[in-house]
Amino acid sequence: MSGYRFDRLKILVVDDNVHMRKLVVTILQAFGVVQIYEADSGQRAWTVIRESNPDIVVLDWVMEGMSGVELAKMLRTNPQSPNPFMPVILLTGYTSLDRVLEARDAGVNEFIAKPVSVKTMMSRLVSVIESPRPFVRTQGYFGPCRRRRGAEEYRGPERRAETKKQEAAE
Amino acid sequence: MARQQPIELFMPPNMLKAKAGGGLGGLDMAAMKRAEQAMETLKGEFGDMIADDVKSLAAARARYAKSPDAASRAGLMRAAHDIKGNAPTFNYPLIARVAGSLSRLIGETPENQAVPAGLIDAHVNAVQVIHRQNIQAIDDKLAQALCAELDARVEDILGKKPK
Repeated sequence: MSGYRFDRLKILVVDDNVHMRKLVVTILQAFGVVQIYEADSGQRAWTVIRESNPDIVVLDWVMEGMSGVELAKMLRTNPQSPNPFMPVILLTGYTSLDRVLEARDAGVNEFIAKPVSVKTMMSRLVSVIESPRPFVRTQGYFGPCRRRRGAEEYRGPERRAETKKQEAAE
Repeated sequence: MARQQPIELFMPPNMLKAKAGGGLGGLDMAAMKRAEQAMETLKGEFGDMIADDVKSLAAARARYAKSPDAASRAGLMRAAHDIKGNAPTFNYPLIARVAGSLSRLIGETPENQAVPAGLIDAHVNAVQVIHRQNIQAIDDKLAQALCAELDARVEDILGKKPK
């Protein structure tokens, strides 16, 4: 037993599907999370984030209006964001590489591929608590380091293709 | 020569660890056991939940059939995507497969082209049949044949190999 005090955490669950929200909330409550906020859209979630400053956001990707990825980007870069370092766990039915890269480039910390399981949810929570990644600020990105390891040693210039394209366009 | 933008790399303070503690760093097995029990209790509601999602899909299909615009297409995509993600949890893996095929059809048909109505209907009808017949086994021969047929028709329309 690792003895986490999940009861001390505030977690926001964002999903426009009421059943998926209920599943996630049920799991979190059983883990001992007491302060759970719910939102059924990206817009409502943004209001809750600014008002309640949760410790972790668990959000769906595909929603009407603002998507989960758009919300993650807003959380990282909007001046009104209460905590640009807030861990974001993305629930997704998309598992193709291009989609994963898109979410990663929006500043998502962890992924949960649907269907959601108890073990995966626990594992992602433990990961954001125990193994937070360093943050990176570049010309075109702010968020968790997109390399899983080895970033601490790198001290050189930017090497990402999209940044080079931006520079060439300038 | 293009100027080089320096990167700023830093480690924010770990406020979560300070709040949640947990010295050993592994999975909290007791909490997981409680959650598994809670999911078992919730299973009693899965029948109603999948029925709701199937109804939502049919309603989204009806909206798209009535006015096939970008908004109704996005609504149909969301309904298909939701059911694809939820159905395995509700013990309907083949509904998830059909919904995944429908998501692919909508998602990969160029936005300036209409999604073929007949093929949408075939998918939604298949979801309804699998639900009505309460087919929860992934190896049900008839449902598998139906899924394979839908996959093949989507393949024909999109003209690609499956991802």
